[in-house]
Amino acid sequence: MVFLPPPHLASASRPAYAEAYANILVAHRRSPLTSASSVIILVAPDVDALCAAKILAELLKQDDVMHRIIPVSGLADLERMKDELATYAELHTLILLNMGAILDLSSENWFGEFSMKLTVHIIDSNRPQNLANMFAGGENGERFIVWDDGEAENMGDERKAWEALTYEPEPDSDEDSELNDEDSVRSNEGDDLDDDEGFSDRGPSGKRRSLGDGDRSQEKRRKLDDQSTRLSREQRETHHKLIAKYYGSGSWYGQSASATMYILATVLERVDCDLLWLAILGLTFQYTTARISRNTYDKYHSIYYDEVFRLNPLPPDVAANTTDAITAMSPDDLSVRAAEDLRFMLFRHWTLYDAMYHSSYVAGKLGIWKERGRKRLTGLLAKMGFSIPQTQQPYAHMDLDLKHQLRAKLNSIAPEYGLVELTYPSFARCFGYRASPLGAADAVEAVSALLDVAGGIRMEVEVEGARHGGEWFGGGRLWEGGRKGEEKREKRIEVGSRQKDGDDDVDADVDGEERKERTWWVKNFWAAYDALSDIVPLRDALSLAMSLHRAIIRQGTSIIDKQDIRTMRSHRVVVLSQGPDLALFAHPGVLARLGLWLVDALRDRLPGTKIGGLQGRGKKSLPFVVACLNERTQTYVVVGIMGALDFGDVRRNEFGLAFIEAKQRCNARSRHSTFDASVLEIEQEDLKLFLETLCEVGEGY
Amino acid sequence: MALPQSLRTSVTPLELELIASEHLVEIVPLITMEKTAFISVRIEGAYGPLRPPAKCRVPLWMATNLKLKKKCHIVPPEWLSVDFLQERLTRETSRPEFSKLPFRFAEIAKVILDVASDDVQNADKIKSLLKDLREARQAKSRDGLQKLDHSELSLPNLCSMEINEIRPFFIQAMGILTQLVREPSAE
Repeated sequence: MVFLPPPHLASASRPAYAEAYANILVAHRRSPLTSASSVIILVAPDVDALCAAKILAELLKQDDVMHRIIPVSGLADLERMKDELATYAELHTLILLNMGAILDLSSENWFGEFSMKLTVHIIDSNRPQNLANMFAGGENGERFIVWDDGEAENMGDERKAWEALTYEPEPDSDEDSELNDEDSVRSNEGDDLDDDEGFSDRGPSGKRRSLGDGDRSQEKRRKLDDQSTRLSREQRETHHKLIAKYYGSGSWYGQSASATMYILATVLERVDCDLLWLAILGLTFQYTTARISRNTYDKYHSIYYDEVFRLNPLPPDVAANTTDAITAMSPDDLSVRAAEDLRFMLFRHWTLYDAMYHSSYVAGKLGIWKERGRKRLTGLLAKMGFSIPQTQQPYAHMDLDLKHQLRAKLNSIAPEYGLVELTYPSFARCFGYRASPLGAADAVEAVSALLDVAGGIRMEVEVEGARHGGEWFGGGRLWEGGRKGEEKREKRIEVGSRQKDGDDDVDADVDGEERKERTWWVKNFWAAYDALSDIVPLRDALSLAMSLHRAIIRQGTSIIDKQDIRTMRSHRVVVLSQGPDLALFAHPGVLARLGLWLVDALRDRLPGTKIGGLQGRGKKSLPFVVACLNERTQTYVVVGIMGALDFGDVRRNEFGLAFIEAKQRCNARSRHSTFDASVLEIEQEDLKLFLETLCEVGEGY
Repeated sequence: MALPQSLRTSVTPLELELIASEHLVEIVPLITMEKTAFISVRIEGAYGPLRPPAKCRVPLWMATNLKLKKKCHIVPPEWLSVDFLQERLTRETSRPEFSKLPFRFAEIAKVILDVASDDVQNADKIKSLLKDLREARQAKSRDGLQKLDHSELSLPNLCSMEINEIRPFFIQAMGILTQLVREPSAE
């Protein structure tokens, strides 16, 4: 378990990305049992990991290395996959994308038992990472390689603390008794769980171990007091405090996995527009889902900005700096351009009014959920000189001069309504003559919509021109996947008749078997993966993203209207147990988006609360807990979001630890179904108790 | 033969492309490789060594493979340039006979433009010039077929794709004409 410094910090004695990659190639070429299962890439289901996987697959393909990409949805899935992987004899390289950093991978639970020729590469943007992964050395340790982004250089203190604690020769008994304690805790939890349901406690073991370190070692200290230790007790305590602070301050995100892969491609000198576009998508995903702050985004943006100009030199007379003004210069123009993007959601793909209505920033400032707010919105548009028919036109049909003036007008008039900072620098890609240029944020929306809801649930998308009683009295159509859906495109159904039989449905949601549930999201994964390189399914997915947003807005406005938000002492809770879109919000990804929308919308109206970290002090933030009932499995999906007070800032998400703590205290039957510890699935009866315990936990901090 | 009826009289364009891929082109390799023997119809079947940044002559299929893996840059042959093609086009449109072009220019141009359009300057202009050339020559070959008689058809400077295009027709046509010619003389 070593960490790889990024290339700009590498030296002869410290191998960096290129050497690790070269080792993969060498292992592949030399091993006599090489087959398609020699190099396996496990990918978490988010857009960033998807982009990184695509970049890596492209690099491997160019080097003629056979590989397999396997999507993994959560910790349970990873364990299942691990058992399957143990049976592959020819496996020599395993690459984990956006998963596994927090796990202690060399333990017996995970990959400690695998053969010595297996190398595991961990490219993960989740932080905190398990310090054992980063710093442990030795023969066992060398097999696990964490690709670092330069942060590890600043972790010198944590490194010293961890090494001191782990390698301290004296307290062997200390570690044993701590491990015994861990086991007893685990077996206690096991008794409480309802095994018939198949639920089990699958919190990330690394985190719990570290928590165990923090809490239990204090008592151990006193018992073994009389044994002489090399380190004094105070030193040990400071070390423990440091490590506990590292693990306990919540979760945040580092460099995106796709950026790491892009750096690898740069070092190998094999970058081109496609890889650059994928890296941009990964970065934009991190920014639009509030994983990184505006400053971090700007930092990476400037790097990509230079890259864009290096790879796509524009002819000098074309000075396009707004996405409106970008046009493809030739049928084969696939270049990436830098452009200023507006914060409206998908605004080039539906009407201007809709785009502003559905964007969380505008919604919050203007108060869209009330009639008064909607009037303000039309007032704003009217002031800018856009007549109502114009704003109801799909963007592509708006007058050209209005489009060009849009940004200027927004800059001058929007501040009166409190809408400042409406633009941010971003990128757009031309697709020749096959489609109009697509902005990075829109592409990210489309891909994540595919990941969440491409299959497995009935989604209705709007047909263009069918609004306000279009040709066939309005109507939507069921969404079918990309190219395959084109054959079925002619079907239109009336809005009222949702009882259409399922024979033209490709969705597998209707029966409740778990196997079907697993396969629908795998299909989604591959649909999203294909859409990354093919513009036709990507363009179709935009309408899916739009209907997803409409559902989120509907739900969000009804929550705010009904004042469904309960304020606890340290956070706010929303519980969804009924509504038309309940099945949709049972997906953690969609629920998280709803939470983010609420945070953005209510940012100015709610005072922030101080939620302290383990150290007792904390910054003000907007903690939100959103829960939604999954009727089919009679469980609640709970998502915790830590919103920041300023737009463009992020806070470390402490809900992961809070959830685990609350779960332990109230012995709720629950499980973590994804890699994110702040997403929890809990039994229906236990929800109330869990939420109450969560309040206590909040106070305890 | 095992081929379907439609294919028995001529070769498909894809097959012509495959044959044309044996043609040697110059590349600027980005990787190093020793002199390696490959399966080839040429007697000299070993190509390389590749020593960047020196140019090397390799078959087109190998250049395509390397280019797709981003391991070389293809140097377009000197006839694949705007000036050359423009000059040939004006010659084509001003004189009644075909102008001289490399025998497999259509296939080689297509492959290079598909794979390495960034290595070719003014790829769009070249594509449109090639299209114009094809149309001009097609018009001429249609006229030329009127001169078909039973013993010979002379269309100098016709290129492989164009020959392939008219081959099914004029083989059958010449056969019938030969029969017709033979009949009267038999009387």
